[in-house]
Amino acid sequence: MTLLEIKNLKKIYTARFSNQQTEALAAVNFSVEEGEFVSIMGESGSGKTTLLNIISTLDDASSGEVYLDGNPLSKIKDKEISAFRRNTLGFVFQDFNLLDNFTIKDNILLPLVLSKTPIEEMESRLMPIVRNLGIEAHINKFPYEVSGGQKQRVAVARALITKPKIILADEPTGALDSKASQNLMEILRGINETGQTILMVTHSTRAASFSKRVLFIRDGSVYHEIYRGEGSADEFMDRISDSLKVLSSRGERDE
Amino acid sequence: MNNRFFSSLALRNIKSNKQLYIPFLLSSTAIIAMFFLMVSLMTNRFVQERSSSLPTLFMIGVVVIGIFSVIFILYTNSFLIKRRKKEIGLYGILGLEKKHVAKILFFESLFSSLLSIAAGLLTGLLFGRLVFMLLNFMLRMPNNIMYTTSLLSVGVTIALFTVIFGLTYLYNVSQFTFANPIKLLKGKQEGEKEPKGSLILFILSLIFLGWGYGISITIPDPLAAIEKFFLAVLLVIIGTYLLFISGSIFILKALKNNKRIYYRPGAFISISGMLYRMKQNAVGLANICILASMVIIAVSTTVTIYLGSEETLENRYPYEHNIKLFGDMDNVAEMNNRFFELQDEVLALTEEKGLEVTEMESYRYESFFGKLEDGSFVFEQSSADGTLPILMMAIPLEDFNEMAGENYSLEDDEALFYHSTKTYEKEELAIGNKSYRLTEIENEFSADMALTESIAIVVPDVSHLLDFREAYMEQFPESTHITIDAEIGWNTEGTEEQEEALIEQLRSEYSFSSENDGLYNSRDVQREEWYSVNGGFLFLGVFLGLLFTLGTLLITYFKQVSEGFDDRGKFQIMQKVGLDEEMIKESTRSQIVWMFLLPIVIATIHVSFAYPIVRKLLMIFGVTNDMTWLLTFIAVVIAFAAIYWMIYRVTSRVYYSIVK
Ligand SMILES: Nc1ncnc2c1ncn2[C@@H]1O[C@H](COP(=O)(O)OP(=O)(O)O)[C@@H](O)[C@H]1O
Ligand SMILES: [Mg+2]
Repeated sequence: MTLLEIKNLKKIYTARFSNQQTEALAAVNFSVEEGEFVSIMGESGSGKTTLLNIISTLDDASSGEVYLDGNPLSKIKDKEISAFRRNTLGFVFQDFNLLDNFTIKDNILLPLVLSKTPIEEMESRLMPIVRNLGIEAHINKFPYEVSGGQKQRVAVARALITKPKIILADEPTGALDSKASQNLMEILRGINETGQTILMVTHSTRAASFSKRVLFIRDGSVYHEIYRGEGSADEFMDRISDSLKVLSSRGERDE
Repeated sequence: MNNRFFSSLALRNIKSNKQLYIPFLLSSTAIIAMFFLMVSLMTNRFVQERSSSLPTLFMIGVVVIGIFSVIFILYTNSFLIKRRKKEIGLYGILGLEKKHVAKILFFESLFSSLLSIAAGLLTGLLFGRLVFMLLNFMLRMPNNIMYTTSLLSVGVTIALFTVIFGLTYLYNVSQFTFANPIKLLKGKQEGEKEPKGSLILFILSLIFLGWGYGISITIPDPLAAIEKFFLAVLLVIIGTYLLFISGSIFILKALKNNKRIYYRPGAFISISGMLYRMKQNAVGLANICILASMVIIAVSTTVTIYLGSEETLENRYPYEHNIKLFGDMDNVAEMNNRFFELQDEVLALTEEKGLEVTEMESYRYESFFGKLEDGSFVFEQSSADGTLPILMMAIPLEDFNEMAGENYSLEDDEALFYHSTKTYEKEELAIGNKSYRLTEIENEFSADMALTESIAIVVPDVSHLLDFREAYMEQFPESTHITIDAEIGWNTEGTEEQEEALIEQLRSEYSFSSENDGLYNSRDVQREEWYSVNGGFLFLGVFLGLLFTLGTLLITYFKQVSEGFDDRGKFQIMQKVGLDEEMIKESTRSQIVWMFLLPIVIATIHVSFAYPIVRKLLMIFGVTNDMTWLLTFIAVVIAFAAIYWMIYRVTSRVYYSIVK
């Protein structure tokens, strides 16, 4: 079943003090099936964050539409948008975006508190998740007391706790060393294996190799995609690198 | 690298941190101006000439503002330097040595202190003149109060604030010399830690507050009140800081531990935010609370004194015309004749001016000092152990009955007895060679009797006064001041010109310089005198109130703005994970209890406990009517709460616009 469908998405930024326009997204089309783990790759400035922000309802598209479960996101009323974001989407950011004034536990519970969830419900959801992510020993610490890898796992826990339809991750390994990145990606893959849909933006081939499908984006549109199929992660990683090489050389020839 | 390099770097730092430095400099300027104005008031000629207690009062003001300046500037500075940790940590990474960083910090402190001290002095001058002029006009004072200042005030101000800025410099340097650059770069992730031994702090705060309140509640008389007021204020201030620092943390932690309260959107965000900066928060609230108490006390007391002027006049000068007759040491019996003669004289004079006498009162009395020692009043000239002796006033029954409109009769060994402290419980009292069976009565005498411990005794006739005198002279043969004196007071009715003519005549005939033996006082003449003093008082009280309100505004604003900038990033993150504007509003709303109610409620408690000591102080100004003070007090509390509510609303809107 198709969970997320993106149709002809276009985004043009207009500079504030001049009429200069940047076309961040030209015409993006793709869809994500329920239970998929999709990576979006592309060079810096290719429009990945812009795309993710529009899907997250943090930004508006210039034209085109994003459908979640067949419903267009642009039809959600302003008043409901925060609740929609809280209940339907889960976020993992490159720079963690944890709050220094909350303990790990409270950081994870934040979206539930905002939804006025009963305490019993919150606590019963918390324990399995933190145990799964290996951060149960730290839940009463503050963010500054744990490592970067642990912080990102806390962010994943925060994204999971609302049981979102889809997790959106923007460069989740961007601020982590290779060991922590490996660990995080294994966790994301594990989460996906339980049926959680994940859409991730990255420019790391190793990170992308943990997903089931990779979309390549360039100059604001999707121009290639490859599936992992039955192959191993290493083999998939080689194929991703090959695609990137081929595509970037073709790009150069185009110019 | 020379000094010019460091100083230009320092200047650039200040400029590039405008957002932090402008509020810092503005608030330092304001506090310096406040201090400077207060010192100028204390050394002001008008103030010193008006009353001897005024400079004392302003001395308290100077000390309180001085203490407050230290806390306030250190507090704003610590906030400022905390936000700059990252930037200064970078210097270390870039290879500047610690002593170079210290030099940069030195020039920054130098520039900001020079600027704010200069601006503070200037503002003090301008603002002082302006407010003095305005209030002078508003109160229609008979004579202009000149706003003057002296080099001394300037010197004191510069000295104090140089020291305070020196302290901030030392604090800043210590922040950077003992920290490593990596930690500095990470900046403000760590929240404030709970102060060590906060339970002890809490107990200490209760001790300080209890002590301060205790002084007020147990204060025996107005003179002790003057003596102890300053100490009580100081104790309560210290207690307030300790209470807010330890108490607010206790309460916040208790709230946080109560899951049903804590895990709701508004409380969740605001409680965690306040715990994150608990000390900064507590000191800010304590500042507001202390300022609020000071505004309420300053304004309500001076308004009471002003409103009570009429009552005070009635107490001091019960009649429109009052003459005090001084007895003759050598010929006491002469006094009796003179007493009746004088009454006839003034009556004749009044009628001569065409006025009608509507009321008249006169009585003779004798006063002396001593102490109560089981069952007898022992004469004293001056007290041996430094405590104040008791003042005793003896009045013959005949005069008392007429004066109080009573109809008592007394046996030869009976007396009517009034004791201001009501601590004498025996049925009998011996004075000199006589002993009396006592009947207690209320204060029908002067309101001044409540100022210090006093006794009034009504004896069967004048001969008893002579007996007392004899006994006293036997004990102290050198004494020259035990005489029977008398008060004569009367009201008149007639035209204004007639009244004026009478006053004129009486003043010339019965003044200190005349060879006559009476001293005349007209209530109308005194009234003018009185209102100019009390008006000046009111004016100064309102002036102080304005200053403190300004301080409250500044602190509240500063607190909200700085917290707004601190919280902005947090709210942005929370919005990403689904915080909506309604919830931001809700969390700012749940601050109301803290930011608005807490300081006001505690200030009201402080001021209520200050009631006894302030009441005693008011007695010095002749205000004995509790109702006036109570009503003024309530009105001022409500008015200040309203003003603070507006300050709170405006500043929380600023906060909201920053975080949104
Ligand atoms: N707020 C903005 N205003 C103007 N241009 C922007 C804005 N955000 C991104 N862009 C531009 O859009 C393009 C795509 O940016 P982005 O989506 O951040 O790329 P990526 O995440 O793939 O590195 C870039 O050229 C960038 O400069
Ligand atoms: Mg990006």
